[in-house]
Amino acid sequence: MGKKELKVAFFLAWRSLVRGNRSSLFLNVLIISMVFTNMIFFPALMNGIGQDVTKTVVDYQISNILIEPKQGNAYITDLGTTLDLINGMPGVERATPQYTMGATLKFRGRVLGSTVYAIQPREEEYVSPLYMTMVGGSYLGENDKGEMIIGASVAGSPNVLEADEYSPSLGGVRVGDSVTVEYANGFTSDYRVKGIFSTGKFEVDDRVLTSWDDMQGVTGTAGDKASYITVKVKPGYSDQFVKDELLQYGVMDKVQTSSEVLDKSLGRNLASFSIIGFISLLVSLVIAVVVLFIVIMIKTLNNRRQIGILKAIGVDQTVIMNSYGFQVIILSATGILLGFVFTGLLVLYMTIYPMVTPTFSATPYVTFSDLATNGLILFIASVIAGYLPAWKVARENIQDVMRG
Amino acid sequence: MIRTQGLRKVYRMGNVEVRALDGVDIEIGKGEFVGIMGPSGSGKSTLLHMLGLLDTPTGGDIFIDGTDVSRLTDYEKTMFRLYKLGYVFQDYALVPELTVMENVALPAMLRADRTEQQYKAATVDILSKIGLCDRRTHLQGELSGGQQQRVAVARAIVNKPDILFADEPCANLDTENSRMVLNLFKEINREMQQTIVMVSHEEWHKEYFDRIIRLRDGKIVNGEK
Repeated sequence: MGKKELKVAFFLAWRSLVRGNRSSLFLNVLIISMVFTNMIFFPALMNGIGQDVTKTVVDYQISNILIEPKQGNAYITDLGTTLDLINGMPGVERATPQYTMGATLKFRGRVLGSTVYAIQPREEEYVSPLYMTMVGGSYLGENDKGEMIIGASVAGSPNVLEADEYSPSLGGVRVGDSVTVEYANGFTSDYRVKGIFSTGKFEVDDRVLTSWDDMQGVTGTAGDKASYITVKVKPGYSDQFVKDELLQYGVMDKVQTSSEVLDKSLGRNLASFSIIGFISLLVSLVIAVVVLFIVIMIKTLNNRRQIGILKAIGVDQTVIMNSYGFQVIILSATGILLGFVFTGLLVLYMTIYPMVTPTFSATPYVTFSDLATNGLILFIASVIAGYLPAWKVARENIQDVMRG
Repeated sequence: MIRTQGLRKVYRMGNVEVRALDGVDIEIGKGEFVGIMGPSGSGKSTLLHMLGLLDTPTGGDIFIDGTDVSRLTDYEKTMFRLYKLGYVFQDYALVPELTVMENVALPAMLRADRTEQQYKAATVDILSKIGLCDRRTHLQGELSGGQQQRVAVARAIVNKPDILFADEPCANLDTENSRMVLNLFKEINREMQQTIVMVSHEEWHKEYFDRIIRLRDGKIVNGEK
């Protein structure tokens, strides 16, 4: 097919679209744009939730690498040497330990089961941005004793009835209040609430933190053991690289990257999100293909006689097919572009007003690769769906099509 | 110019065999304005479609300008129609989304031997000849039946075809418009030595034809001058 034939095919297609039924043209473009928006938006929302959950876990819980005691041990021992070793490795920003112990908190008649996390406050600041989430009071100091910081979910609110709470709380603890803590080992002590933090994520805000020094008084040890160590990796280094290095340097404990931990804990959830996203994509594609097939089928059937006439006056069937092909190309390209705009507006809206729940804050996560891939898939599917009926009619015998 | 030998066309309607053309032998010379006439169902349009390569005969041969056209492939037939034949249909058959100018120019746009300037000049020239140059930007829906058929005639001759086929071109027109179209045909026939083969069932059209091929039941009854 020569340049001239392509030019005529495009000319016929353009005229048909521009001078044909305007409302039909608008609706076709709108359908494709909505299908594209649906193809992008829902999986992007699922992806955004996944990203948010991952970020929460990495920022506030396990950082980039989590080191847990090797099998059979309850604690990582020889902590000082281990931390010195890890902190001296290339690619490691900072390693910091945490020691956890179950406890019962008591405040004005409210009793709450919880876990107390002992941290090294200054070191922790290199690993977790928790210190920036204080909404009342202040963050822990290195030598604080008899003081603790608690999450907003633990503190609760005096204005919310116990029965209406999302999770049990102490019913409205304020900075400066005294909370009684009964540790699992039987040690009991009153703590002054030094600060309250709020990340908006339930699984972080239900935590109670005290200083490393304070916990030594609780356990009665020298503090040379930890429940786990979290490691922050320097920018430019991969988690896997640092993990391999840790193992090579002889860290004998259980070393896992954040993605390995997430795969185990959230893998199924994220996989479910992917499946839902894929089904949504498939349904959207089927809708687009069926709609375009029907639109072009109706168009070609309505224009059967005209197709016959064009063939009769010497217009080759490939020119006719291509003219319908060009119509579909223009329709789907315009629809996809409009879909880009709709998706952009939706993402913008949800970035300003994210969907907030106690466990995640969802903002659609869209990459250029998602847009390009889905746009291309929709485009190819649309072109095939549009070409088929045109190909079928254009190949028919002139007399048959001229009879209409 | 055109010669057929034993041309046959048989349609099957269930178990019934309908002989639309039953051994038609004709010869049409260059520059002739020939009318194909006969009662309804006599095979007039079928013969025109065979001669115009719009349908395939069941048997027999068609020679146009010495070419055995029944041996051509589909693509070759399309190109033969584009370069050598022109058509005018009963219902005008214009493309509604195209202007008068674009409708007329369409067959010329596809010809490899025409530049854009050439086909535009040829289109304006023909539209001036048929008196529709001032309507060249109008769409089909803005024209009367007579004007539409004149546009269809212009489209059929824009490529200066060897043969112009017209299938009852006046069927949808009143007498005044029919005369206008027939006068246009006659003018083209005389001035351009254009060979025209036209199907008609109106007896008064005879006065325009150089010769009449009369059909009945798929056979030639007689030829009249």
